[in-house]
Amino acid sequence: MVSTDQKTDVKEKEADCPVVVAVTSHAVFESGGAEDPDGLYVGGIAFPLLQALQKVNERLLKENPAESLLFDVIVITTESQQQQQSSRITESIRHHGLKVSRFCFSNEEDFIENLLNNNVHLFLTTNRNEALQGSQKGVLSVLLDEHTASCPTEQLRVLFCGDAVVQSEAGPALASKQAAQSFSAQIGKMRGRFGLFDSPISIALVTSRGGRESCGDALRTLRSLGVNADEAYCLAGVPRGPIKRLLRPHFLLSECFSSN
Amino acid sequence: MTPLRHLAVHLRPWKQNTHPKPENAVTVAVSSRVLFRTEREQKVFEQQGVEEYLRYQIEHENEPFAPGPAFPFVKALETVNARLRELYPQSEELFDIVLVTYNHAHVGIRLINTINHHNLFIERFCMTGGSSPIGYLKAWQTNLYLSADANKVREALTEGIAAATMFMPEKMTEVSESQLRVAFDGDAVLFSDESERIFKAHGLDKFFEHEKENEDRLLDHGPLKGFLEALGKLQKKFYAKGQRLDCPIRTYLVTARSAASSGIRALKTLRAWGLEIDEALFLAGAPKGPMLEKIRPHIYFDDQMFHIEGAAEMGTIAAHVPYGIAQKHNSKHNTSAGK
Repeated sequence: MVSTDQKTDVKEKEADCPVVVAVTSHAVFESGGAEDPDGLYVGGIAFPLLQALQKVNERLLKENPAESLLFDVIVITTESQQQQQSSRITESIRHHGLKVSRFCFSNEEDFIENLLNNNVHLFLTTNRNEALQGSQKGVLSVLLDEHTASCPTEQLRVLFCGDAVVQSEAGPALASKQAAQSFSAQIGKMRGRFGLFDSPISIALVTSRGGRESCGDALRTLRSLGVNADEAYCLAGVPRGPIKRLLRPHFLLSECFSSN
Repeated sequence: MTPLRHLAVHLRPWKQNTHPKPENAVTVAVSSRVLFRTEREQKVFEQQGVEEYLRYQIEHENEPFAPGPAFPFVKALETVNARLRELYPQSEELFDIVLVTYNHAHVGIRLINTINHHNLFIERFCMTGGSSPIGYLKAWQTNLYLSADANKVREALTEGIAAATMFMPEKMTEVSESQLRVAFDGDAVLFSDESERIFKAHGLDKFFEHEKENEDRLLDHGPLKGFLEALGKLQKKFYAKGQRLDCPIRTYLVTARSAASSGIRALKTLRAWGLEIDEALFLAGAPKGPMLEKIRPHIYFDDQMFHIEGAAEMGTIAAHVPYGIAQKHNSKHNTSAGK
């Protein structure tokens, strides 16, 4: 991987800590708690995403068995009904062969606190309200949608949106921006562990409205965070839908570029 | 009328900052290797591998690339746009030039710096980091794709996108800065290769016979017909404003067919398609090089490498359309794969 500063890499290697990703049980399993013949939950929207995160960990450890910059995946329940299904959830996770380090059986009252206590770097949910609450407390929260379900399992695809509209209702934007920037830096570092081809992580940048200068600025912003994008698309007004369908990202990040 | 005119003038600067919708514009996608000269970087890529190639690119990020074979063509498209904006300030029927490259986004900043340096109006681009850009070409409703890599061009043609491979000629003769000139071969470019097949299989006499018998039967369309059509649509916008004589777009047919015989079928077909071509040159088999040297097109499309090379020898910028029966005879000409 192209590296611009060898010295910092060596120093930072000592300080690498895991990237804690919390996913709600609703995102991991089919909504409505659909069951298979054994009474276990069926895989949902975030399933391919978890498999991709796992793939990244496997490849990171292959490159360096002593690697500490790994994804640390937590499954979290966010409401009491799911909270009571703890054994079924853990069994289903085990059955599907997913590597989850911890479970957090919270409800709607205390799940945010659990996110903070567990030092969660990225919170993934299919519930807009939950994402909003997370953002308001300064946790990088990403809303997953049905597109995530059809993403590849062999490669984690992250899409940075260079000039998306900042969600003004998300509360303290500054805190969220910092969380986004540090998460992005971690992703960038992970990407740097692999070569240009056959990487289990792929990073793309899309700017939707502005021209080439806004894309250039976004590329520079990413670079300052230690993120080297693999792909870049400057749409300058072309509808984003078809491009997103072609890129198939697991999730989108836009907070790095918000104006405040 | 006057208040409206003032309004139009006031709106114009704003309009120039918004970009035309793909369905309204004539989208021309060019790769970085044909828009600019990247031979040195290509050599690094081929000899030292991709990581070294990207390191080199980043190291030289502030050095703009020199113009490549598609550069004069792109500049001419922008000249036409300027003239169109004068006459139709609100219209989105313009050329939209998009940079489409297999390069990784690491090269992005150098490419943007280069576009800035040369004052090109390119606001859309696509750096796919190695994957096929065909999906994006389609999403952008691309009318023409120019690349240095024949494989990618072939892929585009199979998907129904007009495409051609460009090469860096040893010398590039000067071309007009005020008028876009596009020259096309006939068979297997504007038209299908059906007649060429007859010629290749049965010889010249049989070819003449076949053309005479089928004079009134239209030829089937070729891969570049749509692009000629798009050019014609823009030309009509100038004619509508009384600018036929001063039209900044001029099209040429340069064919080996002869005027008295086989050429008639070509002209009848064009007429039936409702397409006008400004000049039709029937060479009756004579070499195309000298004629092209007189025309000085910004780009010349041909399906036969023999003609492409002949044109390049005389400084004409030629683009190869790898379509039809002639490709089976082009085997000794392989372009290098890569970025």
